[in-house]
Amino acid sequence: MTGRHEGRTRGWRARVAGILGLCAAGLLAGAPASAAIGEPEKWELKFGFIKLTDMVPLAIAYERGYFEDEGLYVTLEAQANWKVLFDRVVSGELDGAHMLAPMPLGAATGVITKSEIVTPFTLSYNGAAITVSNAVWAEMEKTVPVEDGKPKHPVSAAALKPVLESYKAQGRTFNLAMTFPVGTHNYLERYWLAAGGINPGVYAPQKGDNSGSLGAEALLSVVPPPQMVPTMEAGTTAGYCVGEPWNQQAVTKGLGVPVITSENIWTDGADKVFGMTGEFVQKNPNTTVRVVKALIRASYWLDENGNANRPEAVKIIARPAYVGADEKVIANSMTGTFEFEKGDKRPVPDFNKFFRGQYGIPYYSDAIWWLTQMRRWGHITEHQPDSWYLETAKRAFRPDIYVAAAKELIADGVMQASDFPDLDKATFIKAPQAGPLDGIVYDGTQPNAYIDSFAIGLKGSAQP
Amino acid sequence: MKTLLELSQVGIEFKTDKGPFKALDNVNLKIREGEYVSLIGHSGCGKSTVLNIVAGLLRATTGGVVLDGREVTEPGPERAVVFQNHSLLPWLSAYQNVELAVRQVFRAKKSRAEMREWIEHNLKLVHMEHALHKRPGEISGGMKQRVGIARALAMQPRVLLMDEPFGALDALTRAHLQDSLMEIQRELANTVIMITHDVDEAVLLSDRIVMMTNGPAATIGEILDVDLERPRNRLELAEDPRYNHCRQEVLRFLYEKQRKVDGTARASPGASQPEPAHAPLAAKAPAGAQMPQPARGERAVVTPLHGKHVA
Amino acid sequence: METTRTPAWFAARARAWDARGAGRQLASLTRALAMPLLGIAIFLLLWQAGAARVQTTLGQLPGPALVWSEAKGLHREYLMDREREAAFHARQQERAAKMAAANPGAAAAPVRPYTASPTFYTQIVTSLKTVMSGFLLSALLAIPVGIAIGLSGPLHGAVNPLIQVFKPVSPLAWLPLVTLVVASVHDNPDPAVPKSFITSLITVALCCVWPTVINTAVGVASVSDDLNNVSKVLRLGWLQHVRRIVLPAAVPMIFTGLRLSLGVAWMVLIAAEMLSQNPGLGKFIWDEFQNGSSQSLGRIMVAVITIGLIGFLLDRVMLALQRVVSWDKNAVTR
Repeated sequence: MTGRHEGRTRGWRARVAGILGLCAAGLLAGAPASAAIGEPEKWELKFGFIKLTDMVPLAIAYERGYFEDEGLYVTLEAQANWKVLFDRVVSGELDGAHMLAPMPLGAATGVITKSEIVTPFTLSYNGAAITVSNAVWAEMEKTVPVEDGKPKHPVSAAALKPVLESYKAQGRTFNLAMTFPVGTHNYLERYWLAAGGINPGVYAPQKGDNSGSLGAEALLSVVPPPQMVPTMEAGTTAGYCVGEPWNQQAVTKGLGVPVITSENIWTDGADKVFGMTGEFVQKNPNTTVRVVKALIRASYWLDENGNANRPEAVKIIARPAYVGADEKVIANSMTGTFEFEKGDKRPVPDFNKFFRGQYGIPYYSDAIWWLTQMRRWGHITEHQPDSWYLETAKRAFRPDIYVAAAKELIADGVMQASDFPDLDKATFIKAPQAGPLDGIVYDGTQPNAYIDSFAIGLKGSAQP
Repeated sequence: MKTLLELSQVGIEFKTDKGPFKALDNVNLKIREGEYVSLIGHSGCGKSTVLNIVAGLLRATTGGVVLDGREVTEPGPERAVVFQNHSLLPWLSAYQNVELAVRQVFRAKKSRAEMREWIEHNLKLVHMEHALHKRPGEISGGMKQRVGIARALAMQPRVLLMDEPFGALDALTRAHLQDSLMEIQRELANTVIMITHDVDEAVLLSDRIVMMTNGPAATIGEILDVDLERPRNRLELAEDPRYNHCRQEVLRFLYEKQRKVDGTARASPGASQPEPAHAPLAAKAPAGAQMPQPARGERAVVTPLHGKHVA
Repeated sequence: METTRTPAWFAARARAWDARGAGRQLASLTRALAMPLLGIAIFLLLWQAGAARVQTTLGQLPGPALVWSEAKGLHREYLMDREREAAFHARQQERAAKMAAANPGAAAAPVRPYTASPTFYTQIVTSLKTVMSGFLLSALLAIPVGIAIGLSGPLHGAVNPLIQVFKPVSPLAWLPLVTLVVASVHDNPDPAVPKSFITSLITVALCCVWPTVINTAVGVASVSDDLNNVSKVLRLGWLQHVRRIVLPAAVPMIFTGLRLSLGVAWMVLIAAEMLSQNPGLGKFIWDEFQNGSSQSLGRIMVAVITIGLIGFLLDRVMLALQRVVSWDKNAVTR
């Protein structure tokens, strides 16, 4: 493997200097270090992942020896589905895992198993797409505006409205698939539908209704990713929202057409995070920081030199032990292009974002955004004050650990301070940004105002 | 010779779906030590039931069995049984089958060496010393039955009970086994109760033949004393008129007096008095030898026939 | 006296007879193998022809040739993994040497096991370990219970309805329950005995216990009356009776039950592994399905054939064991 010896810790002198430097930095800046960064408490670790391309930072951290540099012996194990993965993290069988960003939040609020799951690192930003079947696209095309002979992106869900009408006339239900209720794909799909004026329904857990179909015009349900394409082909579903390689798979097989990529729904928000139990983090602070160090390096490498290393990354995750899909299917999205209709390849450099621009920091505002969507669709059952949103975000998202890891890397000399933003001054709340689809502005300090600004979905003190 | 085993007013009733079924009624029999008694009768007349009661495998509902002055309520090795289907344990060798019985009976009384000798001795008695370590699956039916007999004998029983021991074997094997049995009997002078279908066998082997009536409520019909001297040679006996006479008596009992035609027991006229003159192959009948006589305190064995319809 | 000498014609005949004898043996062997080989050959031809016609979303259904090449690919992966393992250990040693040089007095760090995901062969071994554990657990439970209910009519009456109700439950239905129970009871996640292993083996045991229980009960209950009578005449105590008469008599039926149970266990294991994450063949198949690559179907078929072959071998082993232990040569031994 090339590059294994790059950036290696240069002996114990550097380490001692690093520690002294960190202490100094800590004293000067007053930034809280999670703990003294010493040897790992636990060396042998098992991390779980789902076979989606955005698990790549984990694979790179393993294959390029970043974990081993930290003295960690990590086994990466693919999991059957998100539920199994989550349960195994909670039970302690997995020390950490590739998770959907809303999962730690769902755990904190009790939407899924009430437990303390924290994330110190965002594995990837963006990285999903919505694909519809050929038949549905044929209908949508009729109303989608054209630009330069090609459909104008982003495609609004409003183009689906005539399709819904025809389904209704035939007495059929319009079904869409996603991966997990408390998950990015579900909420993104709903956002897209609602922005196009279609009601995807709400969850009413307090009434015992967890189908999420209360008042729905389009029904969303969980389908395992490998089955999304066959069920769409069979006509059971009209489309799905999932990460890669499943959208490009559909195009390659000629079975579907991706219509929108996730950065056009919500730009540069945390999509996958690395989650661990609060208990683990508490008992193994050094190990946690070291894990984050390795992941930061992996993310950095992935986006280094304008995504120059992506082709090599594709080769690695095409191996059956990781994502396993055909290289050419993975290559598109990972190297910055995306094929929509067959032959319609467009540059989407930010389809998968790892380090560039967002640094892997678990922003509070990202957490709050997901919480607003959880409120909008009923997973959070009651109105909560703005302060609650921030508190919940702070419980689950732990940029403080990230900062400790970043500082360690700088002290080791592996990375430079200029690689990072000013971590000491960071509030971890991004500036307000407008949604690319509907122009609605998201301000992380005003979640309730944001929730109330939507036409479809719960708001205020509304109950389903 | 004193009475070793006595059956007193033994009757047994089974509960069936159609109501109580009285299989045996008022069976009375005294057996002396060293006597060889055969029980014979038509199928289903309850011979096996009698044997099972003596063995203790069944309990009589009325009356009882007394052995050596003590009532019999349970099975035990002092009333060893030889079953019709040898009942050898198929996973043990001949030696081990007999060993099982010997260990059980002589646990505290013989040493291991003595036990081994005793087992081999018994198997030698039945001419099975060459197949000690063969399993039942590896030996013929006749040989299996020999082992069964050896096992029973090895228990040194007070009474040897044999339930149609040779019924499942071919004629030649049967003959060999009968000869062996007579040989053993000569040596050991056991008290034996044997159930058989075979008239020749009964006459050849027994001192007395107990003939049972047909069921239900079967009981002892007639008892025939077989006063032939021992040792008995079948080839010689074939010409002996006394032997033939005994045979005829038994046959007459079975086929004329207790005829079973379509399951109906019918009496033939004048059946209650066994008459030598009615015997088909009548030859000179030694006086008194075949007449079932109430003797030595036994109850008269001529019983009125039941005209019941046996369904 | 005539000189006796083996006539030439006789010697020649004898030689010919030997050859014929050997030839006869060869002929009978060929005959024995001919039909199975013919069956397999025809199946392969049909498979190759049929596969060419079936298109799935993952590509064309692989024929035997493709499956064979995928099998070779799996072996190549195994070899590459050995290389990586060697490199891994080399790196560890290098690091250890550096540490030792830096801190001469410190204790040596323990040697860490190789961390990569298991190869196909390792997964086979994991599956075998799990199935044997589950099967043994079920045998330990089933045989005593079977004996108890075989001996006691009332007990049988009490337990039988439970057996009939639980027997048809699929492993996939048990899994969530077992996972939850194991998770709550087995608090210490000891890597030596991972929870996924325990979950799998308990699920396997729950599903494969029934044939053994039922067959043992039948075997015990159907000890022939004659044998029971022998026991009674010998006045064997209850324990003796069970040990010397009932159990040996029931052994053929018990073995039949065990053989059936092993077959069920192997089938159930593959299903259970898919969800319990036990790193065996079941997980291999599910992971391959999730991969969705153009090779996935071929690799899944390799796994399917492997599963079948292993099931066949397990059955043959049980059969051989049965032939040795069981005294009843008439019992079904095919």
